[in-house]
Amino acid sequence: MAANPMTQFNVYRIGPEIKIGEIDISFTNASLFMVISTITILLIFNFGAKKNSIIPNKLQLLGELSYSFISKMISDTAGSKAKPYFSFIFSLFMFVLFCNMLGMIPYTFTVTSHIIVTFVLAAFIFVGVTIIGFIKHGFGYLKLFVPSGVPIVLLPLIVIIEIISYLSRPISLSVRLFANMMAGHTMMKVFGGFVVSLGIVGGWLPLSFSVALTGLEILVAFLQAYVFAILTCIYLNDALNLHH
Amino acid sequence: MSNDLKTRLKIAKTKFKNKNPSDKNNEKSSFGKAFQLSTELVSAVLVATIIGFILDNWFDTKPWLIIIFFFIGVAAGIINVIRSAKKMQKE
Repeated sequence: MAANPMTQFNVYRIGPEIKIGEIDISFTNASLFMVISTITILLIFNFGAKKNSIIPNKLQLLGELSYSFISKMISDTAGSKAKPYFSFIFSLFMFVLFCNMLGMIPYTFTVTSHIIVTFVLAAFIFVGVTIIGFIKHGFGYLKLFVPSGVPIVLLPLIVIIEIISYLSRPISLSVRLFANMMAGHTMMKVFGGFVVSLGIVGGWLPLSFSVALTGLEILVAFLQAYVFAILTCIYLNDALNLHH
Repeated sequence: MSNDLKTRLKIAKTKFKNKNPSDKNNEKSSFGKAFQLSTELVSAVLVATIIGFILDNWFDTKPWLIIIFFFIGVAAGIINVIRSAKKMQKE
């Protein structure tokens, strides 16, 4: 067992080193777990959708439940205009959820505990939503930064504040997921280390703590995927239904 | 047989309804909400400070813009928090 609780986040190369120019694009353990979670999602939903029986088996039920869950979430938060983006939000939710959940299995690697992964996801959402907003409203989308009913004197300050608050969206989105996952996994490792160092006499208390933490972490893994998806819906709602 | 199923369905439905005032669900989402509010506050400050730092380097006005943008970031963060809190209250 590694004594350092941070070693679980090490990224290392698997297989040969591949380089394009100066950029290292070798296959790492992080990429391996992204591939694994993608394949798991594909397998589950392929087998779930294979036999369309009226009385669904477990896999089909899982697929149907998650479909209606996401579809309800989108229509609740972003309205009917957001229906075309269902597939994007569904894949996003499933990817984050499976990365989080696969990380809960011992000896696996949690992809979402790295800020770069979550930030890239959030940056894609941010850029995509901004583009959608400009396509739907043209330059009228800039009205998002000018709230109505503000005195002229305060307007420059308010516009700067609004722009900063808009720019902070991808940061808050990515930091939230990353910090939750990293803090939880570090904490679990630290308590695991306590069990070993306190031995058979005093190790029972941290062991019971570890068990409780595992439950909490599974909850957090689901919750953060949900929050990630629902905030994407909220941002999409701002872009589609401009009101301020 | 079908009668039996109907009564069982009724019992299950009433059970479900009684359970529905979702205590557990509420607890779950409030944890997420708390975290959402805190990150929103911090991230706005972070973004504004970074912008101030970059602009300072551009215009050679160290350290004035970073200070100004820090306070603007705090304002933006508070606005963010108020907005999302309002959104949560609506739900």
